[in-house]
Amino acid sequence: MRIPENTSAMSPFQRGNRIEVLVNGRSVEAFEGELVSTVLHAEGISTFGHKATTGRASGLYCGMGVCYECLVTINGENNIRACQTFVESNMSIQTSVEL
Amino acid sequence: MNKNVELVIVGAGPAGIEAAITASEFGIEVSLVDLAPRPGGQYFQQPPEAFQEDAYVGSKPRERQFLQRLSSSKIELRSNTLVWGIFEGSKPGSWCLKLHGPLAPAQLNARAVILAPGAYDCAIPFPGWDLPGVITAGAALRMVKNQRVLPGKRVLLSGTGPLQMQTAAYLLQAGAEVVTVCENARSLLLRGVPHLPSVWGQWEKLKEGFDFLKVLVQARVPYRMGWAVTAAHGKDRVTQARIQKIDNTGFPISQPEIIEDIDVVVLGYGLTPSTELFRQLGCEMEFSRLGGGFVPQRNQRMQTSCAGIYGVGDGARIGGVETAIIEGRIAGYASAAQLGHLSKEAADKLISRQKPALCRQMRFAKTLAKLFPVPAGMFSFADQDTVICRCEQVTLGEVKRAISFGAQTVTDVKNIARMGMGNCQSRTCGTIVAHILAAETGKTREDVHCLNIRPPIHPLPLIVIEEFDNGSVKGVERQ
Repeated sequence: MRIPENTSAMSPFQRGNRIEVLVNGRSVEAFEGELVSTVLHAEGISTFGHKATTGRASGLYCGMGVCYECLVTINGENNIRACQTFVESNMSIQTSVEL
Repeated sequence: MNKNVELVIVGAGPAGIEAAITASEFGIEVSLVDLAPRPGGQYFQQPPEAFQEDAYVGSKPRERQFLQRLSSSKIELRSNTLVWGIFEGSKPGSWCLKLHGPLAPAQLNARAVILAPGAYDCAIPFPGWDLPGVITAGAALRMVKNQRVLPGKRVLLSGTGPLQMQTAAYLLQAGAEVVTVCENARSLLLRGVPHLPSVWGQWEKLKEGFDFLKVLVQARVPYRMGWAVTAAHGKDRVTQARIQKIDNTGFPISQPEIIEDIDVVVLGYGLTPSTELFRQLGCEMEFSRLGGGFVPQRNQRMQTSCAGIYGVGDGARIGGVETAIIEGRIAGYASAAQLGHLSKEAADKLISRQKPALCRQMRFAKTLAKLFPVPAGMFSFADQDTVICRCEQVTLGEVKRAISFGAQTVTDVKNIARMGMGNCQSRTCGTIVAHILAAETGKTREDVHCLNIRPPIHPLPLIVIEEFDNGSVKGVERQ
């Protein structure tokens, strides 16, 4: 869930330009300056993938590029950290891709 | 690109920036390399470039001044760039840093290198800690402050120290429902009394803490001292958690209580220094219980056992932002002397002037570490099936089997059980395994050592290494 821009308790801000990205093939609203992990959470997606060996679910954990738990597939390329990648217009983001 | 510079600084947080500014004021040619898209590190983290700048009038004047000094200097800043390895250079006394970033793979050669890699959240494993929705305090703060998105609606926090109070306050202000905050430390007020002298004078920090507390009190958030999350449940993501009262050594002492209908658990158990480059270089390490585990040995000039390699800030030992800035300044002076821009005597004088403030800040950092410890019993929450190494999906049962095979050090456990061999290179599980091994064998954390790190310190596309081998280090765009 995105925090509204006019939340009184927080410092005022404005998101970047509105763009569209594809999340698992579905067109989704996003803003420049947002990370892939942000857009997924805004869409209510917290499970980003499943471990190849055990099938256990994984998602954002450290949020700073250290743990590699948030790997997703971006424009067909596997194993990209969602927490370190900014969205771009028409980017294709896929979660839970079986490798 | 293969370039010679006088000084390379790795990490553009408070310590790295201060070191860079200090050194450049002596006329030194400085390259500042940083992984993030914008300088500031975690503490002075800036909003994304595309978000509107002038809207951030709320940001602290000190922060703005700090970053302005950087942008008005002659320092060459390389953002979005990873230093994936540091090696001995071809000339004696020089170091060669391998870079991967938007300006293609590159190599920097320098006689002096200041490492300011910062720190990341510590972890405590418990059943379900690897479920989506269970995140670190650092992740929660970044989402709320930097990305302006909520990790979920109903949040449970567990951890220790001021950072977790801050996280809870920010989540509340952003509109999340904070169900409960479990602070692992007990009877803080009484235990705090002996430490009063070292807290005296830290008014800004105390006021900040008080403001966060006020937000929590006004929202009537249940704040439980001496409690911790001991399990998280859910199918594909967390939906409920188990909390228990713990004793001073961290072991559960009460019947479990179940917190229902949550979608986020935030864990804040202090910080681990990001020592990968020090270890990759082979710097002599020492164990510091209050400083976050194994850290590089350093002399008064912040120099490690490797000549010309300096270490500053939380990445060299957890000490907080003020300590980091002073250490950065000292390393700036020391490198200026090493590179011949400042006489040794003048540098010594400047460095000794920093000592009283450094001692004061270190004392405060130690007090915080003592007041908010992560006691050994907390490592007992995990059960046999709990995943300890997430990357390689190694369970506690497998770690214990490795120990029963005769593993004496964390490296032995790695060799037997494959923990720490995945993408994160033991950043998440290394400390946990050290705790488990120490508890199982009756050894100290110091005795079980830490893992070696080999380059590249982060996974890289193979083509980068290939380009280096071919001698052509240009033209490869970052994916």
